[in-house]
Amino acid sequence: MDFIGGLMELLQSGFGGLAAYLAAHVLLCLLPAFFIAGALAALLPKEAITRYLGRDAPKWISYPASALGGFFLAVCSCTIMPLFASIYKKGAGLGPAITFLFVGPAVNILAISFTGVQIGMDIALARIILSLVFGILIGLLMAWFFRKDDAAHAVEAAKSQLFSEKKKIPTRIVLFFVILMGILLVGTLQVGLLRNSIYEFTIRGSWAVSMQEWLNSIIPPNPALGIEGVSVHGLILIGLLFIIALSAIKGLGKVFEGFNAWSYVALGIITFTLLFSSLSVATAAEGLQIGINSRFLGEMLLLGSLWWMGIKVMNADELKEWLWETWRFVKQIIPLLLVGVFLASIARALIPAVWIETIAGRNTFWANLAVVLFGVFMYFPTLVEVPVAQTFLSLGMHRGPLLAYLLADPELSLQSILITNSVIGKKKTAVYVVLVTIFSTLSGLIFGWFIK
Amino acid sequence: MEIKILGGGCAKCHRLEAITREVVDELGIEANFTEVTTMPEIMAYDVMTTPALVVDEKVLSSGRLPDREEIRKWLEKIG
Repeated sequence: MDFIGGLMELLQSGFGGLAAYLAAHVLLCLLPAFFIAGALAALLPKEAITRYLGRDAPKWISYPASALGGFFLAVCSCTIMPLFASIYKKGAGLGPAITFLFVGPAVNILAISFTGVQIGMDIALARIILSLVFGILIGLLMAWFFRKDDAAHAVEAAKSQLFSEKKKIPTRIVLFFVILMGILLVGTLQVGLLRNSIYEFTIRGSWAVSMQEWLNSIIPPNPALGIEGVSVHGLILIGLLFIIALSAIKGLGKVFEGFNAWSYVALGIITFTLLFSSLSVATAAEGLQIGINSRFLGEMLLLGSLWWMGIKVMNADELKEWLWETWRFVKQIIPLLLVGVFLASIARALIPAVWIETIAGRNTFWANLAVVLFGVFMYFPTLVEVPVAQTFLSLGMHRGPLLAYLLADPELSLQSILITNSVIGKKKTAVYVVLVTIFSTLSGLIFGWFIK
Repeated sequence: MEIKILGGGCAKCHRLEAITREVVDELGIEANFTEVTTMPEIMAYDVMTTPALVVDEKVLSSGRLPDREEIRKWLEKIG
């Protein structure tokens, strides 16, 4: 393999991976997930959960509440650290604070839905359940190890009124979340009921086949490298994504100053794209076969209800906040994610499968520990752990160590260790890091046994 | 007037500062802006969510972006 040829092959692998991502996965799961993350940040009153995290809260309430708080409140790093520090010093104490810190990065709406679609529902569910259980266990252990230090905060905590404020989540906000979750679930669940076509029709013409052949020639599907190729349906979706990106920059980037024409254009195209992507589209000799399925009908109903709520029930400030937060997450995460996908696809072509198989092809203690340590020392931006994990999977990593990696990577990075250190000090941070390493390793090991 | 913006430099904190600066200019108030970014200093104000707006050592809002009108009312009352 000469140098230029090799380089071309790598680039092709990178772009192939990127195209497949944009065409298939990102849309149906990430688009709604970002809107949910935005809604959680903008519309959920934090006091609805923090009321259970005061110093007087009994353990059986404060620990589960911290775990839930990690899921609902920790969408953004600018909420994680202040809340963590507050729970530690002025609220329920070190244990629940640690539970919150552990659950947040591993179990949030973006990470879970992305993992579910990309790697599999089994890993996504395991990520939720094991994070919650081990988050609470690690919290309890830390609280027990450092029970003397923690008692010292009691005086300070007793004076504080921070956690006494009580709020309830308004019913309309709950309904809004239910509809958003519905859009995510109906769009991503892979069940026959949603997928099977109810009515089919064909757009005639030979262009569909020649277009598919052209697509296959520029991005050849290569199962050995895990490249899925791009369908005609996918190509149209990539086009729509570009239009969304352009209109969103103008329409959502400044939405806090008020809705402008571009805001409606962006939201309209996003709605259309979600509907279009839920159709089943296949290329056949006589043309493009389009099937209307219950997924499409379900999304139509849900998106309709969401628009209705947006216009009739929610007030303008709530909508502006929601869209602005959503756009902020997109701007913060998507560019890095795309670069990550590109590089992970290149890595898939570069790393010999033998390496991964040797290190983590089987579900052993050392395999799990090795990938956990890899996760600690490598720092990947939010969500990039998922394409990296997918690369590992296609290179032959066992699903046990894969889960261990997915738990450890977002949980521990040198950066997060430093920040934690500044709040709870060296000794506690060191114990925490060791505990997370042990528990992530065990999680992978246990999960690996179960799926065998 | 001493105005402090508490927060680790996230997007919301920058917007809070920008809006407050605009209101201060509109009202023609003499004000000193400080960004408080370290966790112990933020914790000293008894807030658990950022960004927070502190004027003359009093916490006016935390964990959300108050709108322009709200900030204007607060500043008019104090100044």
